[in-house]
Amino acid sequence: MRKTCLIIIASLLTPFTANATPKPEMIVVCYPGGAVNAKDANVAMSSMLRVVERVGQWQANSFNSLFTVKSDECRKQVAEKNPKFAIISLGLYLELRSQHNLVPVVQPKIKGRTSERYRVMAQKDKYKSLDELKGKTLGGTALEEPSFIGKIVFAGKYDPASFFVLKSSNQAIRALRSLDKGELDAVILNEQQFGGLASLQMKTPLEAIFTSEEIPLMGVVANSTTTTAEERARFSKALEGMCSDTEGKKLCDLFGVESFVTVDAAVFEPMVKLWTEGK
Amino acid sequence: MSKARLILAASILAFLAGCTGLQRDHVQTDQLAGCPKQTAAALVLEQNQLGPSSDTHTLSCALTVLRDTKDPAIRRTALGSRVCFHLAERETKQENREKLAAEGVRFAEASLAQGGTNDGAVHYYLAVNLGLAVREHPTQAVGNLGRLEAEMKQALALSPDLDDGGPLRVLGSLYLKAPAWPSGIGDRDKALELLEKAVKEHPGHPLNHLFYAQALWEEGDEASLSQSKAEFALGQKLLSEGNWGYNKEPWKKEFDEFRQECGETCPAQQAQ
Repeated sequence: MRKTCLIIIASLLTPFTANATPKPEMIVVCYPGGAVNAKDANVAMSSMLRVVERVGQWQANSFNSLFTVKSDECRKQVAEKNPKFAIISLGLYLELRSQHNLVPVVQPKIKGRTSERYRVMAQKDKYKSLDELKGKTLGGTALEEPSFIGKIVFAGKYDPASFFVLKSSNQAIRALRSLDKGELDAVILNEQQFGGLASLQMKTPLEAIFTSEEIPLMGVVANSTTTTAEERARFSKALEGMCSDTEGKKLCDLFGVESFVTVDAAVFEPMVKLWTEGK
Repeated sequence: MSKARLILAASILAFLAGCTGLQRDHVQTDQLAGCPKQTAAALVLEQNQLGPSSDTHTLSCALTVLRDTKDPAIRRTALGSRVCFHLAERETKQENREKLAAEGVRFAEASLAQGGTNDGAVHYYLAVNLGLAVREHPTQAVGNLGRLEAEMKQALALSPDLDDGGPLRVLGSLYLKAPAWPSGIGDRDKALELLEKAVKEHPGHPLNHLFYAQALWEEGDEASLSQSKAEFALGQKLLSEGNWGYNKEPWKKEFDEFRQECGETCPAQQAQ
């Protein structure tokens, strides 16, 4: 999911009651593979949380955030803090959902969509299909979560670790420059990165040699045993109203999010099936 | 009035108030006692003496004089913006810091309007003041990234050596800290290139080494971490041994903040 969406959603996490909260509720925010400094991200989220607290008439500093770009650190923090709500990637949700009783609560809508496709890009006319990339180098930020790429993006048909030589990077632009120079054979991009390609000046034209099925965007998840259905519903409603609030709209516009929508649980069922059956 | 006209009027008002959403009012300096009798023209002649080592009273007196001048030749210079920046950088109260920095932006905008477009210092102080004015407000900061980049690129093209490689240092830091592509202008390759150049061409400035250390640290590999440590130590040494006037304290704070962030990968605090 887009980093900017994660930050906005983090800012919207609301307390479960309107009463004063003596201890801030910790929100764990995980953005695997992101090129963002945790300190800067926490400063940004903190600032936005203050806006939400004011708009929602909750006590200032009711919330705190803990941001990480490392999957291992995310697993550790979710286990240690046992947060009621968290903002995690789809891959981490699928991995941790049973262990921590996680249920999706809200999804962002971007350009009219609540899902995205991943694409494997190569220099034009160099490779015709993914099969031709066997043993070749594959870069990209999404590779921070190889299980997600294998089971969900490739739908279990390719195991990234054994099929490619993986060159994980937390900077998509650097991976694309390497692809342009021929230092990498292919780069995997999410929807936002693919949409940004036109803004780059590449010497060699690129083409997609693989496009995934639609994959739902992940937003906020809740621990279903430590939150009530009412709390989750209230939270979801607050988020849905975010982009029509005057101040909230500025944030939504800034980050290109149209709105937030309540999750239809059925959307994630095929993902859970792929994950469970995946090799 | 129709809804459309209301929206149009609101948009125009918003534009006139400044697109950046910066503070509009001044930090009061007109009640200052003991200011020497001086003219704006005299201040311009002696402008090299106004800097980080000047005491706050001297800079505030200078600002009062510069606020009142209508002389286009003086308003075309970067002096007003520079004085505001030095005052803002040492100001500990956020509200006053932002007011001073916003005033620095307005001074620079006035300079550009008077024909100061070929003066790299005008673009430089516009950008650094703008950065100070919005840095605690993420939405404003992100909204001003494009302008910050454009002004600093102009400064780099016109006066790359200003302020010990200031345009290289600040533009490099901007690329390091801004949201990365595709959502922002952040670009670690560009940051490393500019900051390495700043260190090579202006090795005497502590912040050149600190910012380069930060960029190297973000790389995360062993060789970069080791080099980051060395750059950090060198910057810290330059800071503790040099005469940096009122900049010393805020810069020391920047070093301390980075040390906290990088933890064990940074060298131990240097004995003062």
